[in-house]
Amino acid sequence: MNNFYKITVFLSITLVLIGTTIIPIPFIPGLGDKARIIYLHVPMSWIAVLSFLLSMIYSVKYLRKRDLVDDVKAVSAAEVGFLFTILATITGSLWAKFNWGSFWNWDPRETSIFILMLIYGAYFSLRSAIENHDQKAKLASVYAIIAFVTVPFFIFIMPRIVESLHPADTIVNTQGKINMNPVMLTIFLFSLFSFTLVFFWVLNVKIRIEKLKLNRIQKNNI
Amino acid sequence: MYDFLEQNSMYLVLFIALIIWAGIFLYLNKIDRNLKKLEREEQK
Repeated sequence: MNNFYKITVFLSITLVLIGTTIIPIPFIPGLGDKARIIYLHVPMSWIAVLSFLLSMIYSVKYLRKRDLVDDVKAVSAAEVGFLFTILATITGSLWAKFNWGSFWNWDPRETSIFILMLIYGAYFSLRSAIENHDQKAKLASVYAIIAFVTVPFFIFIMPRIVESLHPADTIVNTQGKINMNPVMLTIFLFSLFSFTLVFFWVLNVKIRIEKLKLNRIQKNNI
Repeated sequence: MYDFLEQNSMYLVLFIALIIWAGIFLYLNKIDRNLKKLEREEQK
């Protein structure tokens, strides 16, 4: 990553943090200042979905071309996605403590993200259980594709078909229209953009580390 | 002291969040630079 990218990332996240904490938000019944979590919590979930999607795309690419670099990209995306899923869970859990009274109470949202973490935890277990690189990559790619099929269900569908305390109409209301104060919406969209920039940087670093590891393994085998 | 912290809690949160972000940024930047060095060595 070049220096311009890094400076943009640093400044944009700094601005997001300033916007998250200092800029006043309109009073939202039942939430108050706790609504500010939306600037941090939703981008984490969005990045988790994006990285699992990338993991699935690279897995498909691996199965088509059998290039181990694609497998390295798939596992890196899944790992970064898992990290952001944990961050989404932590930010959500902190919010739940102050809004619902406890860190964890098996709300449909909490249950669905927990199952999602188990699914991707199994992906990493599967990878560590197989020693042969090609076989590992092949099986893990198939698993990553199947695992991604469950992501939209657990993040978007299940929490909406089951009765949940989780706020559902904070960004888009039930009629499908944007339902957010313009100032909040600006900060929110900027936050989504900024965290996505961070995500691509982290993913880039992770892929480069894994590529170096792969090169060393291949050199040792030759 | 408690009153001061209560009245300026958002600024306190911002201050702590900025320190954490600066730490993460510097750490990422350091990994990035070290990786560049390793990649150059690998190409030689």
